[in-house]
Amino acid sequence: MNVLVLNCGSSSVKYQLIETSLELIERNADRVLAKGSVERIGTASALHTYEPAGRDKATESGEILEHRQAVAAILALLTDAERGVVSAPEEIAAVGHRMVHGGEKFSQSVLITADVERGIQECCELAPLHNPHNLRGYQAAKRILPHAPHAAVFDTAYHQTMPAHAYLYGLPYVLYQRHQIRRYGFHGTSHRYVGWRSAALLGRPREQTRLVTCHLGNGASMCAIEHGRSIDTSMGFTPLEGLLMGSRCGDIDPSVVFHVMHKEDLSEQQATALLNKHSGLYGVSGLSNDMRELLAAEADGNARARLAIELFCYRIRKYVGAYAAAMGGMDAVIFTGGIGENAPSIRERALAGLGFLGLEVDAAANAALRGREGEFSTPGSRVKALVIPTNEELLIARDTVRVMAGALVH
Amino acid sequence: MEFRKLGIVGGGSMGKSIAHKVAANGIDVVVLEVSPEHVKRAREELGESLDRELAKWGITASEKKAILSRVRFTADIADLADTDLVIETVTEDLDAKKQVMRQLCAACPPDRVIVTNTSTLSITEIAAASGQPARVVGMHFMYPVTRSPIVEVVRGAETSDASFAAALELARALDKQVVEVFEYPGYVVTRTMMPFVNEAMHVVMEGVARPGEVDRAIRLGYDFKMGPLEYCDRVGLDKVLGWMEHLWRELGEFKYRPCPLLRKLVRAGHLGRKSGRGFYRWDADKRGADAVGGPVL
Repeated sequence: MNVLVLNCGSSSVKYQLIETSLELIERNADRVLAKGSVERIGTASALHTYEPAGRDKATESGEILEHRQAVAAILALLTDAERGVVSAPEEIAAVGHRMVHGGEKFSQSVLITADVERGIQECCELAPLHNPHNLRGYQAAKRILPHAPHAAVFDTAYHQTMPAHAYLYGLPYVLYQRHQIRRYGFHGTSHRYVGWRSAALLGRPREQTRLVTCHLGNGASMCAIEHGRSIDTSMGFTPLEGLLMGSRCGDIDPSVVFHVMHKEDLSEQQATALLNKHSGLYGVSGLSNDMRELLAAEADGNARARLAIELFCYRIRKYVGAYAAAMGGMDAVIFTGGIGENAPSIRERALAGLGFLGLEVDAAANAALRGREGEFSTPGSRVKALVIPTNEELLIARDTVRVMAGALVH
Repeated sequence: MEFRKLGIVGGGSMGKSIAHKVAANGIDVVVLEVSPEHVKRAREELGESLDRELAKWGITASEKKAILSRVRFTADIADLADTDLVIETVTEDLDAKKQVMRQLCAACPPDRVIVTNTSTLSITEIAAASGQPARVVGMHFMYPVTRSPIVEVVRGAETSDASFAAALELARALDKQVVEVFEYPGYVVTRTMMPFVNEAMHVVMEGVARPGEVDRAIRLGYDFKMGPLEYCDRVGLDKVLGWMEHLWRELGEFKYRPCPLLRKLVRAGHLGRKSGRGFYRWDADKRGADAVGGPVL
């Protein structure tokens, strides 16, 4: 069946139409029929990029004022007589929606009912910049594709298996009870996908492995996956905690925030923007949030670019050690995301000196590995090092099929 | 009501601050100024104020670019005709506002709501001058609009339900909490604040304490973000005097009579931060020593 996967932001909708089924999942033979995005929603010059599989990419610009119009435009192209990939909306059997925050209510993907919609609504307070837009996308799609079941796949759900000692902060417990202040973790769909794929590369079922997964993109997080379940992850209450990121600071002593606000006379909004948009690789280097630019600058002798990269790699190494300790050892470290898949030098530097944990990087194999699945540890390395390109859309499509069939796997 | 493009009359500090907030929230803005020279200056000043916000980490370079791309400055009132709603922000002077109102009602289609941004003036009187009072509604934005979370929404005697609802909708679109106000001189904020700052000036004038000490006492004693005299210096002492005189004239009670020290400073041209001296000496936004001593005055 054809599943439309939607990822709705405040002014954008990204989408893929994927042909999948329980049988195709089993054979890992599901395929993308078309993908694209609508950007700058709410303006007279919205940009619709559409790429049907095996054919040329097309770009259109025009007035798209709300998500409903965006979804209608997507449907119009998908079913277009010439450029489309299906002949009628009815050929889209289901819709899978990326939802950022499922709070503690949702520990797995679900079919969206009125109750579920209310539940997602209640989580808006925890992700005010994301959930309302995700919901708006769902409401738009529901109106345009009323015949199809709609499923919600949450970024946070996979980490709901974390034990209390990993998800609680050392704050008064009453804050957890009153306001659900705890660590939720994000990128769950990505960590879960690469964890699942690792079984094929390692030749062992997930239930028998201890994995450390590193999703390194502009946002970055790591996850400790013990026997298929997330037992800890580096992002917390919001995606600000943990690793150094493109422009987010990651772990920081909270006292710094109050001190800087006082010293620089900053408002709450300015302080929030400082931590989220002016920090991380960009803030330390003063140059860019893009790892490719930083690596080039470092090669040219830029000391601050080097420092930013060193901070980035050191944090990863620290978390690898922490998660190995949390699981009593590990069988593989997996890299994914833009940087994780395409920057061999970052992988090598992040894993440097971990021989004592049984992890030896094969420099040649690592250098040759970009944007595809593969192993880059030495043949004798007890702990394997892998690259697995992530595919969140595919997992959302698969989860949609599975929840419809009542055959969900975590 | 969906807002896609707003008109703003006046590119002064309030007009620019509203334009910044509107554009930051993804809505296009047309700002009307009186001449091409004013247009140029207002555009430059908006750029400078965005640079200051960038230096304070409040926005990113690409956000600055996006905001500037959504704000268009013009000297032609006809450019406001296709906006969804117009906010006038001209100087706090009844005659000036009345005149603008007449021009706007002629330039914009009759279904367009017109907001007048005022802190003390009568919406009913401003609206009456337009000849179409139903479409006029008052909103009192606080400066800087990007930072202040509240706005007073004021209904004139003839304001229609639709115009009032549009103002509430606009407040929501700009993430503002609304204080709904029945028209009365000074509404809530200005009327409450003015006797308070006036009293602080009397304390200084009577030699009880120096400005820095008065502000420190209030700031720390009551957990205010800034003291009353610093507030006046930042707003502009001429502006504060204007509000006080308006309240004094309208309500006739002694508690609204402007402190003589305020009059004296304004007459001397000491208007606060913008002139470099008020209750404090101001140097590139940094406060130096108290400019006004106690008993000496």
